[in-house]
Amino acid sequence: MTGARGTDATLRLRVNGAALDVRANPFDRLSHILRNDLQLTGLKEGCCEGECGACTVLMDGRPVASCLVMGFQAEGAEITTVEGIAPPGTLSGLQAALLSLGAVQCGYCTPGIVMAAEGLLRADPAPDHAAIRHALAGNICRCTGFDYIVEAVAAEASRRAALATGPDPVPAC
Amino acid sequence: MLSHCRPEDLDALHRLMSAGGPVLPVAGGTDLLVAGRELPRQAVLVDLSAMPELQGIDTQARDIRIGAATTSAALEASAGLAARFPALVQAASECGSVQIRNRATIAGNIANAAAAADLIPPLLLAGARVEGLLPGGTSHALPLEDYRTGTGLVITAVTLPAGGFEPLSAYVKLGPRRDLTIARLNLAATARLERGWLAGLRIIAGAIGPRPIPLARAAAALEGQALTPDNLRGFLDALSAEVDAAIPGRASQAWKRQAIRGLGIDLLARLLGLSNRDPIFEGVC
Repeated sequence: MTGARGTDATLRLRVNGAALDVRANPFDRLSHILRNDLQLTGLKEGCCEGECGACTVLMDGRPVASCLVMGFQAEGAEITTVEGIAPPGTLSGLQAALLSLGAVQCGYCTPGIVMAAEGLLRADPAPDHAAIRHALAGNICRCTGFDYIVEAVAAEASRRAALATGPDPVPAC
Repeated sequence: MLSHCRPEDLDALHRLMSAGGPVLPVAGGTDLLVAGRELPRQAVLVDLSAMPELQGIDTQARDIRIGAATTSAALEASAGLAARFPALVQAASECGSVQIRNRATIAGNIANAAAAADLIPPLLLAGARVEGLLPGGTSHALPLEDYRTGTGLVITAVTLPAGGFEPLSAYVKLGPRRDLTIARLNLAATARLERGWLAGLRIIAGAIGPRPIPLARAAAALEGQALTPDNLRGFLDALSAEVDAAIPGRASQAWKRQAIRGLGIDLLARLLGLSNRDPIFEGVC
């Protein structure tokens, strides 16, 4: 339960559905623990002050800046990183949409954008463009390809809506 | 030595505070953990972010009661709060990014005491009261108006007393960009409609000085007045005069006395549920 600065302790984390005992400094940023102790290097530590969004993960299903969460604060929460939204070696629909619509340029911001957008689509399955932009306001793309990113998220929302309702009924003859 | 703990309930927090050692409360961490800020070498870092008793918004009782660790996202999503005091919902929805709003708490916004804090102007406007525990474990409550940092008070709840605000309320801010912006100027107002006129109008401005300030003269300029172009112009002139009185000679005075006019229109529009391009504002600014 308690630990000292600079002294590792055992943190009981739930990451991508797995319960893990992690030896780490409890005051370390969650982003650092995920990348350095758990080798989940999809997320990036861009600014370490919650401005850039590159370290976004879901905490109990909601997007948070993992650079602003201390390791011990993540105990008891369900953490989902970009590695956890599709089986290994496959792409989630959101990732595929970003790729096919040309919304990935240098790619540094992409994992954070995927997680912020995933959090949005879980909370609001049919966001309009304004809602998508509002939800992604905390994710900075320095390649500035924002329009394609917004289109990709909208395309994924439409794809999920179509999946949820099933194919259009075949008209009877 | 720096150590940490996560009290499970208020009793556990009380026991910890009674022990009397140096306690550093942390909740969302969105101010504590920004790059370059050092954690203290000796303290108990007490995480309040996961304590169920400090969560939640009760708008059913006469007074609105908000747990200290309630996030901006929870404030933003509260239909009960939106129905009774929308200014706080609007302020919460413009408080950083979704990643920040999912962690940042109401008590953190108070305790961090930033001059540009989003939640403080609407809370002051509503006559909010702060409850908490002092070092040693004594319960203490005081008006937010009288709250000062550095007393060691660990905030446990914020209440908005019924009667502290009118049925209409609104919050607007101006920053260097549209989203994820730190206010250079923000305004909160509350009023009621009487015969199509605003009555009981009160306005508080943030990010002008170190503390939010009431704009009593600007509010008086519109109190009980028809929203004619002349009266609206008088209101905007009064807003500019408030800036002149608050920050005479400061470099930002020149632009803030102009900017507050546009923000004043945004504020009235939001208070009245109108577009800021509504014909009543035509040519007024």
